[in-house]
Amino acid sequence: MKSMPDVDQPMTIFNDVRAILVDLLDVEPAEIGAGTYLVRDLGIESIDFLELAVALNSRFKVRIEDNDIFLFGLRAQLAKAGPNPAPTPEALQAKFPFLSQQRLMEILQDLDYGPVVKVADLVAYIQWRKAMEAAA
Amino acid sequence: MAQRVVITAVGIVSSLGWDIARIIQNLEAGKVCFARPPFEPTVAVAPVADFDARFHIGRFKHLRYLNRGARFAAASACRAVAQSGLTPAKLAGAGLFVGAGPHLDIGTEFPEIHQGNLDYEGLAALWMLRFLPNSAAAAIAQLCGLRGENATIATACSASLQAIGEAFRRIKDGYLDVALAGGGDSRLNPGGILAYKKAGVLSALPGPPEQAGRPFDELRQGFVPGEGGAFLVLESLTHAQERRASIWGEVCGLGLSLDGLTMTAPDSKGIQAEKAVRSALQEAGLSSEEVDVISAHGTGTYLNDAVEADLIHRVFAPRTPAVTAFKSWIGHSASACGALETALLLINMQAQLLPEIRNLNRPCRSAVNFLNQKLAGSIQTAVIQNFGFGGQNCALVIRRHQA
Repeated sequence: MKSMPDVDQPMTIFNDVRAILVDLLDVEPAEIGAGTYLVRDLGIESIDFLELAVALNSRFKVRIEDNDIFLFGLRAQLAKAGPNPAPTPEALQAKFPFLSQQRLMEILQDLDYGPVVKVADLVAYIQWRKAMEAAA
Repeated sequence: MAQRVVITAVGIVSSLGWDIARIIQNLEAGKVCFARPPFEPTVAVAPVADFDARFHIGRFKHLRYLNRGARFAAASACRAVAQSGLTPAKLAGAGLFVGAGPHLDIGTEFPEIHQGNLDYEGLAALWMLRFLPNSAAAAIAQLCGLRGENATIATACSASLQAIGEAFRRIKDGYLDVALAGGGDSRLNPGGILAYKKAGVLSALPGPPEQAGRPFDELRQGFVPGEGGAFLVLESLTHAQERRASIWGEVCGLGLSLDGLTMTAPDSKGIQAEKAVRSALQEAGLSSEEVDVISAHGTGTYLNDAVEADLIHRVFAPRTPAVTAFKSWIGHSASACGALETALLLINMQAQLLPEIRNLNRPCRSAVNFLNQKLAGSIQTAVIQNFGFGGQNCALVIRRHQA
């Protein structure tokens, strides 16, 4: 089996994402971990999401869909599906294939506490997107 | 009832420094900062060496959206607010008046455009914000917590003096108790130099760059671009006294007018400029004999200085006040010049020492009292004059505060 190149490792991607966030938000690297919330912890606002998408695209050379990577489409998706039956991770995975079922379950339980997107979700998206584009 | 309006804080970032004691030292020692830009060594510039906006404003993720001029604005605004001691509640009600101009640093912003596409590593998605004149105001409002009535004034080189004047009027008329007013600008980048060189307004005098700017001297032949920022906190006298603020001076009158004749050059007769000066004096309730000092626009261009010298003579003869020209010390900072010159004048009023016009060997008018050496002593009343492209005229009267 061919080993994956080092640049596609989650840790490498995380380090690059963190470097982008440090520069963009004028914060210390120590303030950013995989579990850090973009909005709740880092105070990211719409203008920063725009810059972040441009910077991620420029760094990783993959297409960045704002609605997916930043989970902007999540609540719309849930609203469209309606409350019955109760949303399941399985149902969401079609729309957000880069997130694990475990992570989607966590997200569903976290919705009432504010915007759910975390640094690790960006890393997962980029890793998934890179694999997709490499396969294509 | 009209309110009396006083100045309670002065924030400045200039080529003479940002620490007020250091600025006085440099003015006393004649220590200036002029240079030849490497990309155009035929002109001279007056840069602010070692300027780092974060040193003055702290961490700010939106700094990337501020051009260098807007960074000077934000830096000097933060310094003024820190000095003022105003509480967050007072700041939230305060007004904000910012003099701003165009961002001319096109070469650095757009090293290349390919087939209609503009992109390079590190280009901010919202690079547009560096070109919007009110980005400085948006940043200052965030950094300092200002939420009140505001305006960004774009009247060329009279903009930041007019911004101070607008704040003065709003407080005088009771619309505001407190306001922050001033501006920041920098046009000594390649785009700015190219634009002004093409317009034929820059000094191309050879020799040491610190001798290239010569306001009111017979040998003058153009201005020296400078940069920097200055903001003042203005408040009603009542408000300042209630919070026991220390008072730098009082603003007493504003005069504004438009030549309505040309796109760049001032009216050679200075008719509307004279009206601006006279109406500022009238609002201040002062006769021309009562003025001690004039801070002249004094760009060092042939026409500006000739028109301004004649205007001073017409308004103030036979006894013209001592005339100084701070552009001989810090260059011409475009839309920020009025705020910088007012700040320097206030600093000098407090230090009781007015600097001479540098490089003034042969004054262009003998009947005007141009300062060719330092003037020690108390200054009671001063007029600040600025005139801009488009025939923009502004004059402001300030007075030493008497309780």
